[in-house]
Amino acid sequence: MILRLATLSVPVSGRALRSACALGLCAAAVALLALWVGHYPLALAQLFPAIAGDLGDVAQMVVRDHRLPRILCALGVGAGFGMAGAIFQTLLRNPLASPDVIGFNGGASCGALLAIILTGGHVVAGALLGGLASAALVIGLAWRDGLQPYRLILVGIGASLTLSALGDLLMSRMDVLTAADMAKWLIGTLASRDWQDVALIWGGLAVLGPVVLWASFPLARLSMSDDVTTGLGLALTPLRLGLSAIGVGLVALAVSVAGPLPFVAFVSGPIARCITGGGRPAIGAAALVGALVVTLADLAARMVPLVHLPAGVFTALIGAPVLMWLLVVQFRKGRF
Amino acid sequence: MTVDAMRRLPSGDRRPVVLAISLLALGGLALCALRFGLRPTGWGDVWRAFGVFDAGNAEQVVIRAIRLPRLLGAVLAGGALGMAGALMQGMTRNPLADPGLLGVNAGASMGVVLCILLLGVTDPAAFVWVSLGGALIASLLVFLLGGGNKANPARLILAGAAVSALCLALGRAILLVSQQTLDVYRFWVLGGFDGIDLGQIRTLLPFFGAGTIAALAASFWLNALMLGDDAARGLGVRVGAAQALIGLAIVILCGATVAMAGPIAFVGLIVPHLARRVAGADMRWLVLLSASIGALLMVAADLLGRLALFGGNMQAGVMAALVGGPILIWLVRRNGVGAS
Repeated sequence: MILRLATLSVPVSGRALRSACALGLCAAAVALLALWVGHYPLALAQLFPAIAGDLGDVAQMVVRDHRLPRILCALGVGAGFGMAGAIFQTLLRNPLASPDVIGFNGGASCGALLAIILTGGHVVAGALLGGLASAALVIGLAWRDGLQPYRLILVGIGASLTLSALGDLLMSRMDVLTAADMAKWLIGTLASRDWQDVALIWGGLAVLGPVVLWASFPLARLSMSDDVTTGLGLALTPLRLGLSAIGVGLVALAVSVAGPLPFVAFVSGPIARCITGGGRPAIGAAALVGALVVTLADLAARMVPLVHLPAGVFTALIGAPVLMWLLVVQFRKGRF
Repeated sequence: MTVDAMRRLPSGDRRPVVLAISLLALGGLALCALRFGLRPTGWGDVWRAFGVFDAGNAEQVVIRAIRLPRLLGAVLAGGALGMAGALMQGMTRNPLADPGLLGVNAGASMGVVLCILLLGVTDPAAFVWVSLGGALIASLLVFLLGGGNKANPARLILAGAAVSALCLALGRAILLVSQQTLDVYRFWVLGGFDGIDLGQIRTLLPFFGAGTIAALAASFWLNALMLGDDAARGLGVRVGAAQALIGLAIVILCGATVAMAGPIAFVGLIVPHLARRVAGADMRWLVLLSASIGALLMVAADLLGRLALFGGNMQAGVMAALVGGPILIWLVRRNGVGAS
């Protein structure tokens, strides 16, 4: 099937389109569910009157100022992580790759810890600076007549292991209370996000989204060997550099809103590929899967009674079983 | 022999030299690990502790009862993790694979958490069997999900990562909820080589022995497996059986290490990359060199953690990453990337 828009024509497989629509519907349904359920009881029909303010100030505050921004943040953060994961996995030709590989997460947690120790605050700024600096460092150290995936992976492993060890070291030098606070931030949470965060994440996505869409065409060709890609007329090094920058930008955006939620970037790519079928990197589907996983995780974090667990605990609890189930199903069908 | 003279030899001849050097360095470091520590002791004390042992002499008792088990633990753990990492990266053909990928570390942690939570066990000695059991169950699950003996690397990797993440997240959720469990668990997970005694090492020694034999035997097949499953079959290797043996070796080696020293994450990932700089593509040499370099790195990290850092103890695994990470980057930058 070919989509045409003026002079642009894009081939789309029917299955990919159908599964993307299904994923989008699922994400919308979960978002609606998350808007509806909670400690403040509401009937489903009361949702929109509540947002409009017809049901009084309390209902409006709960739905419009608490639940809605949180859900919108979850959707945006998940989409950012999902796209970044799919980009890195295709770029490095490795299903285990995620932004951790390029040293972003290790640098971010080191930066956050350093910011707390040195200035007593500015966690997010510290994390962003640390993450961007370490990503730049990894790319710089791996640079040698261009950027080669294998070398990038090796340098990334070395750097991110060293950085996370450094983070452990810093953590053990702090007092207990700050350490406990930091531990919670380092897992990632979506509690008490407001409209400013929503504007940040969705504004960022609005800028980066079209770039990702544009980049997805050359990205699909990167899964072939270097020689073939060069033969197709793509300049490998600028492409790899640009894609890494886009991926790092997406992760930085998501981390600055929700902290380093684990596992989302890793799990979205494989799940999306299992669902859409075929070997193409399904960036759009990965974004939807990421949004779905994070929204579900945040819903679970809100709904577990008695204790307040950060959403980061649930991303793996939700993503991992889905991935396992898909592996079993795919195996039965004889794929893999 | 100077370094330059070594470089002129064909690469096949460099490997025994590096192995010998790393073993010599290990011996030297081992002596240092016995000699240096919080309590000042001299070379004479080390000599007498093994020659004419005097149970009334505090220095000699420290060397034999505290430093020796610690040294043995570090050697065993480092060697085992190095070998397991080399096997894992060879079997999955993935440089990002670490031995924890078969779910061993996560399963062991999960076993210990559940054991503390449900049975109220607080005695560290009991954790040895619990963590071995957890490691076995988790890796069986990974193997089944990964397609049993028809496993293909890509699938195995995804299955392993999924099971590990699930176990770790469940464990973390339990720890966040139950304060008492956290109180016992956090000492186990810090682990390291602090509380090891000779009895514990004697219990686990058969496992390390069996794992080493299995790993060395498997490394002969791994050379063929590295060419791809079909090529290996063509060379007369039974792929399923070979993979099962490799998996078994990894589980035994890692399970015993986790049981002894808690989950040590980084060593198995870094060491094979260091060893590959010398060993090239020959898996037999890679496994041997990974064992010796792993033990070397671990003993050095443990010694460094005891001596250098703020007077306190630092996890040997964390120290190993602090030391090994920069070395890895330096090597990659200096030598460029080989074909491996």
